Amino acid sequence: MNKKFNFDFVGHKKTFLIISAVMVAISILSTFVFGANLDIQFKGGTILTYVYDGEIDQAQFEKDASEALGGLGVTSTVGEDFSTGRNNIQLSLISNSGLTSDKQFALSDAIEAKYAENAIELIESSDVSPSSGKEFFLKCTVAVLLSFVVLVIYIAIRFKNIGGWLAGVCAIAALLHDCIIVYGTFIICGMSINANFMAVVLTILGYSINNTIVIYDRIRENEILYRKTKTRDEIVNLSINQSLTRSINTSITTIVAMLAVTIVAAVYGVTSIISFSLPMMVGMIAGTYSSVCFTCPLRLALEGLRKDGKGKKKSK
Amino acid sequence: MRKAKKPVFFVVFLLILAFAATVFFGVSTYYGDMKTVYVKGVDNIRFGIDIKGGVDVTFTPPEDIDATNAQLDAAKEVIVQRMINLGITDYESYIDYNNDRIIVRFPWKEGEANFDPEAAVKELGETAELTFREGYEVDELGKYTGVTAENVILVGSDVQEAYAAYTKDDSGAMEWLVSLNLTDEGAKKFAEATGRLYQTRGVISIWMDDTCFSYPTVQSAITDGRATISGNFDAESAKQLADKINSGALPFKLVTASFSTISPSLGTGALEAMVIAGIIAFIFIAVFMIAVYRLPGAVAVVALFGQVAGTLAFISGYFGFMNGSILTIPGIAGIILAVGMGVDANIITSERIREELANGKTLDGSIESGFKRAFSAILDGNVTMILVAIILMGAFGTPDSIFSKLLHFVFFMFGPSTAGTIYSFGFTLLTGVVLNLFFGVFCSRLMLASLSKFKALRNPKLYGGGVRHE
Repeated sequence: MNKKFNFDFVGHKKTFLIISAVMVAISILSTFVFGANLDIQFKGGTILTYVYDGEIDQAQFEKDASEALGGLGVTSTVGEDFSTGRNNIQLSLISNSGLTSDKQFALSDAIEAKYAENAIELIESSDVSPSSGKEFFLKCTVAVLLSFVVLVIYIAIRFKNIGGWLAGVCAIAALLHDCIIVYGTFIICGMSINANFMAVVLTILGYSINNTIVIYDRIRENEILYRKTKTRDEIVNLSINQSLTRSINTSITTIVAMLAVTIVAAVYGVTSIISFSLPMMVGMIAGTYSSVCFTCPLRLALEGLRKDGKGKKKSK
Repeated sequence: MRKAKKPVFFVVFLLILAFAATVFFGVSTYYGDMKTVYVKGVDNIRFGIDIKGGVDVTFTPPEDIDATNAQLDAAKEVIVQRMINLGITDYESYIDYNNDRIIVRFPWKEGEANFDPEAAVKELGETAELTFREGYEVDELGKYTGVTAENVILVGSDVQEAYAAYTKDDSGAMEWLVSLNLTDEGAKKFAEATGRLYQTRGVISIWMDDTCFSYPTVQSAITDGRATISGNFDAESAKQLADKINSGALPFKLVTASFSTISPSLGTGALEAMVIAGIIAFIFIAVFMIAVYRLPGAVAVVALFGQVAGTLAFISGYFGFMNGSILTIPGIAGIILAVGMGVDANIITSERIREELANGKTLDGSIESGFKRAFSAILDGNVTMILVAIILMGAFGTPDSIFSKLLHFVFFMFGPSTAGTIYSFGFTLLTGVVLNLFFGVFCSRLMLASLSKFKALRNPKLYGGGVRHE
């Protein structure tokens, strides 16, 4: 555990940037392959989950439900509830106006009467009108964007001596990178984009920015210590390596803690928690990776571009 | 920090233990069967409906109606009144005036397996039936009976408007009352009834559905359709009664804009799993920290324990001066992130101490400069976290919370969101991070500095030192 690392992160910046670009590309492309499953919390609509015993003919069930709603189109998926061992069927409807509660009650009454011998009952319902769904989505987006702006300003002020604004922008680029990978995890695992997704993105946002800041802090310190004797690439490399044990140990503890949550949730069959802890783990790995391998190399690469553009003015 | 004396560790350690014990179990006394809670324990934590199960519903007037603020106030008053009638006391409700929405959340009723949320929501949205009835005769259940049941003087549509007003009495003191403007028809009916009742100093009781909320004595015959109800009102109670009366005159029925229910059976499994997972994760972190960082690791575990207890204390409302907060699944995510930050703070410090030792510094010097050098990274990391938490609390809090007001200039175009679950994330993160600065930095430092004064604990190996880099 107490090894001294000496890996040339800066020298391999091209490799790292390509790996990151590929991961981001896969995450984005997966949207087109698997399709984003925006939860009704964001797009509006209705999902009703019933549990029942025995067998139910799914096609007939959809027909009955549609009839009770006066011909509205419904789709359904069946599954098993791990915690109770009963079967469940999930009805979803996308309507432009949201389902009024009257209609929903009529539906539930009809279904409960028709499938009385299956002891069917409603265990979860969620109905959101498209306008409030859109508003919630927009509000989440604005909150995340505002966080980005505030973080850039904070980093720019606190890390002035290591090129504040650029450092801030690169930290945000890393955050976007992590958020996109979390998004990809949701898509590839077929989980719907809902409030849990927002919670994970926000957590990873915090986790990743903290990782980045710890490394920036080391660079800030070394910049003062070695300004005269070392090049900027050397200082960055030294800083990443010095804080690497910390990065690894922090990641191990947090990721294993999340693993414990995932395993316990799987044993208990609490899917709502798995859909939150699993992407969180992936996000934590991405967050650690991006702050160690992506942020600083990106900054140096951008700085290089800028210098080239300005005809190699100042070089430290 | 050289000042830290030997006993400091034990004082801090015992304080943290004592604090944690009271947080987990609360402080209460039993007098016979009467339990008096002095300090709230974890049992008092209120869980969000995503954990405990419950109902989250947004009511709105029908699409073609643009409700006034007074009408919304009145409609909310009806909903609140009805929830109380249903025995639901642990509700949250607030109004979004921009979008004409009333947001209501309530958990599953304790110990009631047959609670039908659909029926409850349906009832909440119905138009209230307001009646003014003769006399105040009730049966043992508080329902009207006898002449009160038979003789309805006014119904909701007879009332044009009710509002709180005040007058000055002879001595110049202010007196609050509720003023009523009746419709022509209502005025006629009211004139007849008051003309008959005032001679006997009879009463008129005012009912919403089956609940009576006022039964004033008739003071005089009122013929002009303008009545006032006086009593021991203050500004607030007068407005409340006016709202209630207005609600009976609402020209619309509320419909649901969004409506979700979560069965409690889904919730309890989730909670149990989270508690077990939390304990396993904590044990793992403790073993890892002690194995890797030895003495600083052990100190870190104590500090983390304090941090977790402190976060739970803020959620449960342990500190009397602050209200607790509702804990949701995203709220638990916030605790996890804050604990992660706490672990990280201790790891950063322990690593630094180890580095200082490897550079050949003395033990005391290493501990001191380890904490000092680690601090800027910990501070910056935690401050960014606090900024994010504040933004979230501003975006997703109820409209009257301070952070919402603070960030109103950004989120003014959005109404209060129904996603209260995310507010909880901001709350647990904010408290967790602030506590981390206290426990993970301040307490850790005190404890470690004091422990290092013991001769037996002065071996650098206990601090990860003495291992040469190859």
